[in-house]
Order: sequence, then C-alpha cells, then structure tokens
Amino acid sequence: MVAENSTPHLHSAVEPKQTFRRALDMSIRAAMPSLFIMFSAILLSAPFGIPGQAQLQFGIAMCTVWFWAHSRPRSMPALAVFLCGLVVEIFSFGPPGTVLLSLLVIYGVAHHWRYGLSRLGFLMGWLIFSIFAIIASFFQWALVCLHAVALLSPAPGLFQAALTIGIYPSLTALFVWGRRTFANPDQA
Amino acid sequence: MLSIHARQVLAKAILPLLILLAVGLVLLGLVRRPAVDGVRLMATDFMAPAYHGLVWPQERAMVWLTDLRGATDLAKENSRLRDENRALRHWYDVAVALAAENGRLKNSLHWIPQTVPQYVTGRVTRDDGGPYSRAVLLDVGSGHQVRIGDVALDAAGLLGRVTEVGPHTVRVLMINDDASRIPVTLASSHGDAIMAGDDTAAPRLIFYPQDHHPVEGERVETRGQSTMPAGLPVGTVHYSAPNRPVVVPDADLDRLDIVRVFDYGDDDSQAPDAPGRVRVKKLPQNPLTGPLPFSWLPNLPDMPGRGGQ
Repeated sequence: MVAENSTPHLHSAVEPKQTFRRALDMSIRAAMPSLFIMFSAILLSAPFGIPGQAQLQFGIAMCTVWFWAHSRPRSMPALAVFLCGLVVEIFSFGPPGTVLLSLLVIYGVAHHWRYGLSRLGFLMGWLIFSIFAIIASFFQWALVCLHAVALLSPAPGLFQAALTIGIYPSLTALFVWGRRTFANPDQA
Repeated sequence: MLSIHARQVLAKAILPLLILLAVGLVLLGLVRRPAVDGVRLMATDFMAPAYHGLVWPQERAMVWLTDLRGATDLAKENSRLRDENRALRHWYDVAVALAAENGRLKNSLHWIPQTVPQYVTGRVTRDDGGPYSRAVLLDVGSGHQVRIGDVALDAAGLLGRVTEVGPHTVRVLMINDDASRIPVTLASSHGDAIMAGDDTAAPRLIFYPQDHHPVEGERVETRGQSTMPAGLPVGTVHYSAPNRPVVVPDADLDRLDIVRVFDYGDDDSQAPDAPGRVRVKKLPQNPLTGPLPFSWLPNLPDMPGRGGQ
C-alpha cells in the first residue's frame, strides 16, 4: 500500500533519461491529487443546482487528502494540502478556516499512521476515516454555532459527514487506478 | 543547500506551522468575518464569466428538454394556454379598473406619491449557502449602486437582503437563512410578527400577538422598517404543526435565476414630538446676575448663591 519508492520492476540502471519533458510529466502526475481537489472545488462552486454541492466540496477534499497522504505521501505534501485547503476555503462560504484545519489534521493522522493503515485493510481504514469525517463535521458545526451564538440544527453536518463517508469507496477505486496509471510519476 | 538534518527538522516543523496558520484563519473568521468574505467575493467576481460558461450547457439542455416536453403534447398545451390567457385577460381588466379607482381615491385624499425605487437586475452566479446558510451571489455588472441592506426580489416576492457588495457581484442573504429576521405584517389579522429563517424552505413566524394568532392562508407582507418598505409580498401563512406558523414564500427559493435588487433609500423620517409633551428648557448656570428685586427685605442676600456670607 505504501509506495514511497519506485515501482520494483523498474531498476535504476534502466530508468529512462531525465529530460525536461519527462520532469514536467512527472511533476504533473505527482500534482494530480492536488489538481483534482482544486478543480473539483472550483467546479462544484458553479451554480449547477445539484443538491449537496457544498458538502461534496468538503467530502472530495477529505477523501483525496486521506487516501494520498497514507498511500503516496510524495504526491500530497503538507504544503500542497495547505494550498488545496485555501482554494476550497476561497470557493466556499462556510466558516473560514475549518476545512483547511480539518484537511491538515486528517493529513497529519494519515501521514503519521501510514504504515499501520497500510496493514489494516480497506474496511478498517474506511472506519477510521469515517470517525475523522464525523469529528471534522462536528467541529465545523460547533464553529458555526459559536459564530451565530445559537444552537443550530446538526442535520447539515451529519449529512456532510454521511456524504463524505459514502463517496470514499468510489473515490478510492478511482485513486487506486490513478495511482497505477495517470497519477503515477514512475510511469512518466 | 540545506543539510539532511536541517531538512528533517523543517519537514517535521512544517505541519504544526501550517496547522497554526489554519487556526489563525479560524480565529480571523470569528473576529473579522467580512474581511474573509471580501476575499471570497473577489474570487467569485473573477470567476463569474467561467461560471456562466460552465452552466451554459446545462441551461441549454434544460431549454431543449422544456421544448421537447412542449412539443410532445402541443394540443393540450395550447388548450391550457388559451384558458390561462382568458383568465389573465379578465384579471387585466380588473387590474386596470382597480388602478383607475386607486388613482381617483389617492387624488381625492391628496396622497403624497412615494419615490420610485432604483433597481438593478442580476443573474444568480452561484448558490452560496454551504451547509449552514442560505445565500446567493448575483452578477450585477460593474458600476452598480447596490448597497448593503438593499432588498432583493424575484418575479413573485421577497427573496432577501444584500449583505456583501463586491465590484461586480453582490451577496444576498435569503429569507430562510438562519440569520435572517424580517419584520412582517399579516394582511387579514393585521398583526405584526417577525419572520425568522431556520434553514428550511419555510421560515417561521415568531413574536406575533398572542390574541391575534396568524390565520392559515393569509398573506404576509413586509412592515415598513429601516430600508425595507411596507407592503412587499412575502408569502402565505401555513401551520406546519399546531402553534407553529410558518411562511410559505412566494419567491421560488430553490430555483433562482433572475433577481432584482431594489434600493428604497434610507428611512430618514423623524417622528414628531409627542403631543402634549413640553420640552424642558435647560436653566442657565447663573440665571440671575443682577440684584434681586426684593433686596429691600431684611436678611436676604443681594445675589443668589451668596447666602450665608
């Protein structure tokens, strides 16, 4: 699961020559997860009228950071998470800073536990991710309540958490395929 | 170049540093929310043309679907439109007669005409609510005169109020947002109430007189207060549960497209003094400077305030 090093079948002696085009290809492939978060955040801020658009912004960012932080941390460094969080913050109108903070915390957890998570298997990883998605949504709800000085309904937060947990398996399938193909810098 | 040790220290320190920055942003959002929203509004201004491009295929598809649906049942649609046209002609005649009568009555009452409000029409750029709020962004073009507090209406009724103003874009807080409180008047029971949004489709009515409960189905209009003029249509009363009156808005809050923003000006009218109340004149510090007229009396001082000298 942890793919810090190059793909085993590629020996350094037979690696292709480093050219500018190859370096560019590699960096674009490595930046693919961050670009995916930014592109989906901007796309989902357009007025399509799809129910749960704002919640999807948060959910996609959380799932992407969680997967790549423990699966291939080189494709998702802390600075990229920060930049992605800022873009999501700018293109949403929720309480400022909550998405950014949630992304950094979930990045820290996934990055710190990446060896353990790689041994746990998908279901256990999904369960741990679900707990953090619920905590992040609760944190967002608490900040909104603090800002409004009122006890608001937690239903939107629960919906956001449920949506985030729900889209994780399908996004994981996409990312597992992407890790082997279009988002794999070793394939450049 | 940094040494390996320095790079390791930097790699370990960067995440706590970024988390601290994020906490700083959270605190900034709590203390200076308008500054953060200003940056977001600028980004939306910048992205407005791209948003139009993004939703254009969807809009075209909706138009084609509507046309296709109409084309499949032309005869029925024609018959429905003919009936509707007949009804509309009747209502047009009634409206013309009522407008003439209203004009005559106003003339005989020496009615002071109200100023015509300035308005600007804009298209909804994006739904801007997020999970916990209900707001939309309107593209009103450059050089607009929209101010914070202006009233937004769609074709049917009140939509909300302007809360933030950017160079091309304005943000409208909708009447069903949790932060929205609008003073309203109930048309039949003549009671006043506050319409409070609660993030649902139908805002609640609160603070209505306990001896004049809102009547099911009666019209709800705005009460003239601050920049909000009186008599704007808001919706109708409906009891979603016993003792829980809500307003079913006239405006279609879920599918907004074209919105007008009206500037009714400031409410600078000053109430006159209450009848019968006498303004208290302030006495000067030293009201009498000369000698008192009755200074011939024995044991009286010549000047006030000099007693006991």
